[in-house]
Amino acid sequence: MPTILLYAYMALFLVFIVAPIAAVVAVSFSSSSYIVFPIPGFSWRWYWRIVEYRPFISSLIVSIELALGSALAGACLGVPAALSLARSRHAAAGLLSNLLLAPISVPAIVLGFALLYYLSALSFGITFLSLFIAHTVAAIPYIVRTVLATYRALSPNLEESAAILGATRWQTLRHVTLPLVRPGVFAGALFAVLTSLDNLPLSFFFGSANTNTLPVVMLSYMENQFDPSIAAISTVQMLIAIAALFILDRLYGIERLTAV
Amino acid sequence: MPPPVPRRGLRPYRLAGPSWCLPVVFFLAVFFVVPLAANLLRSAPAGEAGGVLFYYEKLLTDGYYVGILLETLKVALVATLASLVVGYPVAYFMVRHAGRWNGVIVFFVVVPLLTSIIMRTFGWRVLLSRRGLLNAGLLDWGLITRPTDIAETSIAVYIGLVHVLVPFMVLSISSVLQGVDVRLEETARVLGAGRLRTFLHVTLPLSVDGIVTGCILVFVVTNGSFLTMLLLGGGKINTLALLIYQQFVTTQDVGFAAAMGNVLMLVAALCFGMQYWLLRRTGIRR
Amino acid sequence: MTKPGVPLRLDGISKSFGGTLVLEPLDLDIKEGEMLALLGPSGCGKTTTLRIIAGFETPDTGSIVIGGRDVTELPPNKRSLGMVFQNYSLFPHMSVGENVAFGLKMRGSNAADRTRQSRAMLEMVRLAQYEDHAVHQLSGGQQQRVALARALATSPAILLLDEPLGALDKNLRERMQFELREIQRKLNITSILVTHDQEEALTMSDRIAVMRRGAVVQVGHPTDVYDRPRTRFVSEFLGTANVFTGTVAQAGDAGAWIVTLDAQPHAQGKTFAPEPLAVGRRVTLAVRPERLVIVPPRDGVIRAMVKDLVFRGSYFAYELVADGHDQPIFLYSQTRQILAEDGRVGLTWAPESAVVLGDEA
Repeated sequence: MPTILLYAYMALFLVFIVAPIAAVVAVSFSSSSYIVFPIPGFSWRWYWRIVEYRPFISSLIVSIELALGSALAGACLGVPAALSLARSRHAAAGLLSNLLLAPISVPAIVLGFALLYYLSALSFGITFLSLFIAHTVAAIPYIVRTVLATYRALSPNLEESAAILGATRWQTLRHVTLPLVRPGVFAGALFAVLTSLDNLPLSFFFGSANTNTLPVVMLSYMENQFDPSIAAISTVQMLIAIAALFILDRLYGIERLTAV
Repeated sequence: MPPPVPRRGLRPYRLAGPSWCLPVVFFLAVFFVVPLAANLLRSAPAGEAGGVLFYYEKLLTDGYYVGILLETLKVALVATLASLVVGYPVAYFMVRHAGRWNGVIVFFVVVPLLTSIIMRTFGWRVLLSRRGLLNAGLLDWGLITRPTDIAETSIAVYIGLVHVLVPFMVLSISSVLQGVDVRLEETARVLGAGRLRTFLHVTLPLSVDGIVTGCILVFVVTNGSFLTMLLLGGGKINTLALLIYQQFVTTQDVGFAAAMGNVLMLVAALCFGMQYWLLRRTGIRR
Repeated sequence: MTKPGVPLRLDGISKSFGGTLVLEPLDLDIKEGEMLALLGPSGCGKTTTLRIIAGFETPDTGSIVIGGRDVTELPPNKRSLGMVFQNYSLFPHMSVGENVAFGLKMRGSNAADRTRQSRAMLEMVRLAQYEDHAVHQLSGGQQQRVALARALATSPAILLLDEPLGALDKNLRERMQFELREIQRKLNITSILVTHDQEEALTMSDRIAVMRRGAVVQVGHPTDVYDRPRTRFVSEFLGTANVFTGTVAQAGDAGAWIVTLDAQPHAQGKTFAPEPLAVGRRVTLAVRPERLVIVPPRDGVIRAMVKDLVFRGSYFAYELVADGHDQPIFLYSQTRQILAEDGRVGLTWAPESAVVLGDEA
């Protein structure tokens, strides 16, 4: 493949990737109430609209709380199991690992649907808790996957050294295992958070006034009023994600945090 | 000399005991396994007139639904192939030619994942609709006289899908391609093979693992997606996931939706089974 | 001032993995301050033995007694041991100083004591200036020395070494062998060294326990095990051995026995034996290559022909073939031998150079 063609292709590809995102950002500053591109004029009005239209901000907050909370819960549940299963030679270990990784393979819409009826039958109702449970189920595989990989790559001699030097199980965990496994936890949690923020099919079933997540609100807004405020809230969401990653990088160094 | 003392019941040294799995297994049993099992039961209700498998029969025999099933598979297949064709050169470039720019390219490939899928699909709508950029450009250059609503065509759905799927494909392939030793390609060139033949006979076969993983992943994701079909294509493309969404919103026919969901899950399970079987058989150990 | 060392005793230690017996009931008595090498090919059970002493594997039978105290039921962190691994196993997320002080920290030492003690340890291995360095900044040999300092910082009763020098290149390995031995002697710490390298075992240890297929085949001082191997396996694992079979012909002078060698009808070899040999008894003799002597070919000695000569730096290695003997015969000589044109020689040895081998267990 002649190299020049490849370079040209790559340039086109990068444009392809960025184009719709750039278009949305541009439209968010449009002065027109219709979705026109290129935009006729510049205006901040749609950003004001976000603040006016309560559901946007409140659902954004719900989405963020949900994403962070379910990732945390997923980690608390998944990390101990991953540590236990990673080096087990037991026959059941493989089966259990597959169970922990299974939720990723189930289409979200099927999972959300099944959980809605099941939780309703258990009188959990359409509450934040139900939503939280659903997202935690979805978060567990991401964290288990990366922690399994990270822990398996560590030499067992490290923990054995700690034990010989006098560390109890808990001391070994605290001073050796967890610090070394942390990149895996963070990488998995990052995936879980990003997936949760964007997970419409799962959240869609648990929608109510105070448990709507941002994607659900955006979708229903789009079906009723189709104006550039969608673009504005999308842009805000993207900026928050980018800012969060930037801050994480400054504080801890993304490389160090997620270097698997 | 006394016989050696037998040691029974000595606990072997283990850091994370098996009991550490219990909380998560319990959690998933209650909130994952049982709900899906209940879903299975719900899709095959005992008292329904027409028998236990009524919904499944309806899905597999009624022309309308069979059409949707086939459409679902067709869309997934086309989207997968398109992502493969679009994505492979990108992965190849990243691994073989990018050098210092590798990080930048990875960033651009991954950044869409920081935005919501609604944003990206909306963006394509903006670009392709009657008042969008593409029409504006085509009109300006005099290629068309009236704006066409590309956003309402099937092509728009595929564009939107590929845009979302390509990052997954690229990452799957590039991680495998990384492991393909450059020197193998160099050896082929030294032995007289041209660029194309080297690619076809050396690089491509060795990256098959990544291709299989990427394709299966993309295929399953496409099967489960409905937002793209909802927001683009003007309703021309109707897939199973979209149907489930609509069933829930409009008819609330729980049993039927459950059956559709199970068919979707079955397809996903088959895909992963195929992936497991394929990767075991290719004999290239990772 | 040397602290008194602590003796270690293994009583009837055995282990099976999934139905296969990996260690037969093993008895070992290691004296205070002694360095014992567990030597053998892979799969012989030496590493399993070490891990059982450490507490990472549980024995099926038997006891581990450290300084009179039965520790078999104690977890690894309560056995007062130090261990050095082949891959160093330094904690990558801690500095060199923090690594060395780790054991002290786990025992509740305060910061001042820890710093003092870990600095003293680093001084001992001559790496004091690297206290604040990250582990990956050090070379392989330096990392191994830090691992040693870390293991010794808690003043353990026993030091365990699992192929500690395997990852180092040859020159470095030889230097480290001396350093390690020096430190071990100075501290008078009872140590167990697991290795598959017979030179290492010979250089570093007070006694060698040769292991094969889960059992100890011979234990003794290095010279003993080398000069008086008990079985063919031991004779061939430690150094090279020329093995000849034959029949005892008669008693010779000064307590030596004359053996008619199977290889050639006229050939005879002489040997001493710890007990009187019956005439007509079948024996297997082992003779080290450096003990073979070249003489003019004549009756009564093995007639052989030189096939190859290799210069190995500190000696010449001759490879010879003899009619009636399937294996090549090796002879090591410090000087070049003057040979006849046709390369034909006679081979003989002094009776004290041969050993009667026992049967394999």
